[in-house]
Amino acid sequence: MSAHELMLEDVAVYVLGALPEAEAAAVRSHLQTCDECRREYVTLRPAADALGFSAEACADPSSGAIVPSRRLKARIIQQVRRDSSQRLSTNIGELRAVRPIVWPAYAVAAACLALALITVIFNMSLNEENRQFETQLSQLNAHASVLTRELVVQRTELADLVSPESQRYPVTNGEVIKHRTRLYIAMEQMPPPPKGKVYQAWTLHARAAKMVPSVTFVPNRSGVAVVPIPVNAASVVAVAVSLEPEGGSKQPTSAPAFVVKLTQ
Amino acid sequence: MEDGGQLIARVRARDAAAFERLYDAYHRLVYGVAMRVLGERSGAEDVTQAVFMKVWNAPEKFASGNLAGWLVRVARNSALDLLRNRSRQPVELPEHSALDDGPEAEVFARLDALSVRSALEQLPPEQREPIESGFFGGLTHEEIARNSGVPLGTVKTRIRSGLLRLRATLDGAVRA
Repeated sequence: MSAHELMLEDVAVYVLGALPEAEAAAVRSHLQTCDECRREYVTLRPAADALGFSAEACADPSSGAIVPSRRLKARIIQQVRRDSSQRLSTNIGELRAVRPIVWPAYAVAAACLALALITVIFNMSLNEENRQFETQLSQLNAHASVLTRELVVQRTELADLVSPESQRYPVTNGEVIKHRTRLYIAMEQMPPPPKGKVYQAWTLHARAAKMVPSVTFVPNRSGVAVVPIPVNAASVVAVAVSLEPEGGSKQPTSAPAFVVKLTQ
Repeated sequence: MEDGGQLIARVRARDAAAFERLYDAYHRLVYGVAMRVLGERSGAEDVTQAVFMKVWNAPEKFASGNLAGWLVRVARNSALDLLRNRSRQPVELPEHSALDDGPEAEVFARLDALSVRSALEQLPPEQREPIESGFFGGLTHEEIARNSGVPLGTVKTRIRSGLLRLRATLDGAVRA
């Protein structure tokens, strides 16, 4: 029998676990370098393991043979679950035990100072922005007030113009409308004034000897003009409109386009 | 049903429920090997407990392959250690070798006890006895030779021949 065949037998005894440790170590070392012996090991290993399977019959309850006690399982599982919960609490403990990062005092002071400077600069910037925003807000509020007032006036004018309670005095291409103390000239298809001219309203007050000048106006491209007359209508007894130079006149310089008397 | 490798993977993740399933699947094998080696219940239970606690504490020792075969070796070594030293300290788990992952390893893991016992009984006594003495009795080849009065070389030849024959019989069993 060759030396290698003898080694194959040693591999078999090694697989069985029946070699003294020194010889087992030699076989382990040999297996690292010898393909044939490795194949022998791989072939015999399952057979040796299977020897243990034959012993399982000793613990087979169906054969009526001896089986491990139920207390054994309870003991092992209890130990495992206790160990498992301890590991969990240990991990939590490790997390809790993590030390916070401690900064040197000078670093803390420097960081605080830098933070304070940044905060001051930031606040100044914010204050300036705030002032700008306040100015803009004030302007917007003023504009909104103007618009609101205009809207109220327009709504009032519109209500006066369509109100059945208003008194209407027809004129060529329009009418003069009186509603309580407010007075309007409402015109349509009114010819545009010549270049350098505007229409001007005139009012005659009770017990007055002559008309006084009022607002000037120009109809739009459609020939429409709705003109509130800034006067207390209660004291006005007549209204006239004439063509006047731009900027208006203190005395009429042309024949009136219309003159209408208002009843009290 | 999960195989041994899957259960071990979950045990590595500290899954106690997987460990319990692993115990249910393999405790009779481990206990049976320990009983066969020690011949008494108390020691076999101690070995079983020690083996499974080692598996719980160091599941990474088993890499892949035939978990049942690995547990057989662990149980045998633990029981033999107890038998020799009568110290209640279990042995360390052996590292799982890549050589133990033969292509049929997992196929052989599905062998049942009756098939293996039947295969063993088919061996001639002069081959079966040294194999069982070496495996369950923990005897070295020299002790077997001395006890049986058979030359050492002959013992080694019989062991090898017996294992090869056992392997061939088991091959037939797993392919049946």
